[in-house]
Amino acid sequence: MKKYSILNSRVPRVDAVDKVTGKALYTDDIKMPGILIGAILHSPLAHARILNIDTSLAERLPGVKAVVTHREAGTTPYGVSPARYDETIFCHDKVRYVGDEIAAVAAIDLDTALEAVSLIKVDFEELPVVLDGRRAMEEGRPLLHDIYKNNICAEVHWHFGDIEQGKKESYIVRTDHLTSKMQDAAFLEPQSVIAEVDSHGNLTMWSSTQAPHYIQRTLAMALNIPLHKVRVIKPAVGGGFGPKASCSTAELATCLLAIKTGKPVKLTFDREQVFLHSRARHQFFHTMTTGVKKDGTLAFLDHQCILDGGAYASFGIATIYYAGSLLGGPYRLKNMKYDGYRVVTNKPACGAQRGHGAVIARALFEVQLDRIAEELGTDPIELRLKNVMEAGETTCNELFVSSFGMREALEAVRDSAAWKKKRSLSGKTRGQGRGIGAACGFFVSGAGYPIYRSRTYHCTVVTKVDDVGGGVTVSSGAADIGQGSDTVLAMITAEELGLPLDDVKVISGDSNLSVDLGAYSSRTTLMTGAACRDAARDVKRQILEAIAGVLCVPPETLDLKDGKVESLSGELDFSKIREEYLREHKGFIDLPNELCLTFREASRIAFLERGSIVGVGMYRPPPLGGSFKGATVGTSPAFGCSAQVAEVSVDLGTGEITVENITGAHDCGFAINRTQVEGQMQGSMMMGMGEALMEQIIYDKKGRIVNANLAEYKIPTAMDMPHLEAIIVESNEPHGPYGAKEVGEGAIMPVIPSILNAVYDATGVRIEELPLTPERLVAAMEEAKKKPSLQENP
Amino acid sequence: MILPRFDVLVPESLEEALEMLGEHADKGVRILAGGTDLLVDLRRPIIPVHVPRCDGCAKHPGGMVYSTIDCELWLSEPTAHAGGSLRNALQDSRRISPQYLISLHLLRELKGIKRLDNGSLYIGATTTIREIAHSEKVRRCWTALAEGADNLGSPLVRNRGTLGGNIANARPAADMFVPTIGLNGILKLQSLGGERLLPARDFASGPGLTVIEPLEILTAVIYPAPLSYSGSSYYKLANRKALEISTVGVSVSLTLEAPDGPITDVRVALGAVGPTPILAESAKGILLGETPDEPLFKKAAQAIRKDARPIDDHRGSAWYRSNMVQLLSERLLKIAYIRAKRNK
Repeated sequence: MKKYSILNSRVPRVDAVDKVTGKALYTDDIKMPGILIGAILHSPLAHARILNIDTSLAERLPGVKAVVTHREAGTTPYGVSPARYDETIFCHDKVRYVGDEIAAVAAIDLDTALEAVSLIKVDFEELPVVLDGRRAMEEGRPLLHDIYKNNICAEVHWHFGDIEQGKKESYIVRTDHLTSKMQDAAFLEPQSVIAEVDSHGNLTMWSSTQAPHYIQRTLAMALNIPLHKVRVIKPAVGGGFGPKASCSTAELATCLLAIKTGKPVKLTFDREQVFLHSRARHQFFHTMTTGVKKDGTLAFLDHQCILDGGAYASFGIATIYYAGSLLGGPYRLKNMKYDGYRVVTNKPACGAQRGHGAVIARALFEVQLDRIAEELGTDPIELRLKNVMEAGETTCNELFVSSFGMREALEAVRDSAAWKKKRSLSGKTRGQGRGIGAACGFFVSGAGYPIYRSRTYHCTVVTKVDDVGGGVTVSSGAADIGQGSDTVLAMITAEELGLPLDDVKVISGDSNLSVDLGAYSSRTTLMTGAACRDAARDVKRQILEAIAGVLCVPPETLDLKDGKVESLSGELDFSKIREEYLREHKGFIDLPNELCLTFREASRIAFLERGSIVGVGMYRPPPLGGSFKGATVGTSPAFGCSAQVAEVSVDLGTGEITVENITGAHDCGFAINRTQVEGQMQGSMMMGMGEALMEQIIYDKKGRIVNANLAEYKIPTAMDMPHLEAIIVESNEPHGPYGAKEVGEGAIMPVIPSILNAVYDATGVRIEELPLTPERLVAAMEEAKKKPSLQENP
Repeated sequence: MILPRFDVLVPESLEEALEMLGEHADKGVRILAGGTDLLVDLRRPIIPVHVPRCDGCAKHPGGMVYSTIDCELWLSEPTAHAGGSLRNALQDSRRISPQYLISLHLLRELKGIKRLDNGSLYIGATTTIREIAHSEKVRRCWTALAEGADNLGSPLVRNRGTLGGNIANARPAADMFVPTIGLNGILKLQSLGGERLLPARDFASGPGLTVIEPLEILTAVIYPAPLSYSGSSYYKLANRKALEISTVGVSVSLTLEAPDGPITDVRVALGAVGPTPILAESAKGILLGETPDEPLFKKAAQAIRKDARPIDDHRGSAWYRSNMVQLLSERLLKIAYIRAKRNK
């Protein structure tokens, strides 16, 4: 591997000190003179017709500056996928879930705003509710939207290869099911928005968002403002994980209130509103039939899925495709059929969440492989190794994997977790309370196409050398939401220009700076990283050309390294440059006295020669994927893959599960920052563990969330976390900068199934419903005791 | 929801606190100890709700229910009349916030753990959970209480939360309340007129509801000195390992005449399986006077299971809770027995 001075190291993140000292400004920290506070009226009912909205009392309350409903907001439909614009800023005809937004208020303080909200009178005609996703499609069920016949928001029917042929070749065929629950992403920072309009009619919105560019577009469209008059700024963000990738009513309503009042308006969700707004993981009902040949070669997969997506489409169109397409890898699978139905129900809308659409599908498929291995009498890791794809192969649904460290990752976790030894023991001790399980994963490294149909660049980066010389500023629309993309951009620029990290300033997350599609689909390192590298190289070329001109040497004999200009062809006579620089800085104390030409001098002289030095980089993937319907979802310039071994102990009486160890390996192509890669892997392990064992949104019979807070919606605490081992695999991705590809989402893929497989090993029972609570486990163990024959193979 | 507006009164003596309580009783006043429950509850939309007394029903003497969670529990109570009256009360309810909180944090006499001359343990009501968890005295002789403290909330909650607060909140799952009943704790209730002592098991009358008089303050809990060959144990069953409300909590205290028995005293307290923590009466009948062994504990656990009155809620089903009461009772009887044998 090439030697780098800063890449592949463990430098601390550029925002670390500001965040740990409390200096970093999150949206809610921002103060402005005369700022008003906004509040939203949410529907108390899951499904009802709106007969009348009376805001007169609220408007008359002293301190209230504006009350807005659909009458002020209009009813321009918007959403995430242009093919399914099914939301309006406020409800006008119906409310479709408890929490649906009806009106918003701006007032002098929060107390007044909340009181005003409570004074808005809405007359409803209650309608029957649809809460069970499995039954939403049945004839005669109440309909949520006129446009969705039988409450089906989208359906997908794919058939790659020939599953009938696959069936003929199969030695073992088995069908299994897995059901999950709607999730909350449980990011630390609730959504927060500030909006302001200046005297020229320019709207600026600060928001805790993952995708300034998409939000800018939605604001312009739904509020009917020219795109160039809308600016979205992302301050420090405390996590997103997907739900903050789409435009929310909070954002739209706050902008509308700012327009109406002419004042800055701030609106911050409380935790309950985070749950009500949701846009997090769907509920999945998967059924899979998988066949393998006698030698363990995968023969076919027949997959059905119902996705309960709540009241609106949101990201759901992408979700339904991802749920099917990402089973194309990481194993060689020639024949695959997928029938997916994304239904709407009277619950908060679901959207994207880490591992978009693919997490539960992956969980069931990896459980199936485990069960098949057991039936074949094969080691589950060996079965997987037999089927893994290699770099250069294409899946049956036309996804091309240009780099692929799947085998290496699987072998790494096998060896590091001492799998062979432990598994051989567990074979004899199955069901005695200790277990070990393995699984793999596969994920995109950046969506191949934008959400809206366009040949837009996915990102551009502009790097400008300080006119005074010495450092550079990188400008990008990329959204650092805590994952560390600013650090990645700074490291890449520092590497290319031979600068210390402290001399690279990164400004980002502002739609005025550049187009960048945002922090979703694990795209930023590969895409914005590539653009950033090119911008830096552009800058470097210009500086070196200018210096070469002054020194009368060919530019290709010069290089930038360790803060200075290096000559590849003998000593440089740079006395004229030094002289000029010293003359310019008479009276300065800290002046260059090195025996070499410093970057400080070189960059200043380049400016004197050529004016501002600006480098531009951009990235747009090549055309990707097949030509079938929906072929674009799942495409990516590169694919990450991962493997994991989980070890658990189970109290066979109470069903309490303790995860004792997780060993994960992820192929990220090349680790720009090793600590950050491990951090993403560890975060994924924790998030996946929560989904496997505790997380679930619980609704009552009227569609109200029973546990809309972080006391009752359980995510793992520090006390629940086991020892985590994160192994980095580097396969050198040809399409990524320096060989880098994703780690942000792919690392979550094997977490749930490795735990499910380990719990099976510990207990001898399989659970078909997540989360795997102690109670569900006890129930399954009791059931197994009653009917021991069911646990054996037919 | 945001915290409603209120004034915090900070008395410097218990007497002053009691006077303040009397002075503001009609304006809505709550006692503030650690605040780990109260300040969360105050943000909830419907607090408090007055539950009228049910005539002819000793179990539901009426009083104030302070949180929505408790309301839900009341509504799910099988005794329809109590639920019915609450339903009516809820319909009339609106957001009523206390005007005053009386903070006990300056009252030194309410803090601390000490051993009384007769060997019993005296813990001031505002002693923090952390102090109890770190007390060697408590762990040695009143182990169940220390185990309750170990498992309550998180380090941050244990630093602020108090023994008195945990008991006075009267949650059916309270991690200090359940072992306090198991260890036969006696509550000291102070009013301007004097003090009264009340066994902890008689304190709660419903979820979030107690028999404390409006002008009384819980000042201390007294745990009787354990006799020779006594042992106790508490187990909190929950879905995660911290920041949890128990699905089931079981506390067992056991006294033997000699290391091999017979059993001279036993108390099994159950949490989160009824509207209040429950003292499982049937344990005594089966265990007293008997020589401890596994079949006996099994039989006792089967009986204890029937003392539980669990409901289905989002933390667990009645079925699971009943099973766990039995399973944990059997396990904890064994643990308490092993501990009792060692404690001369």
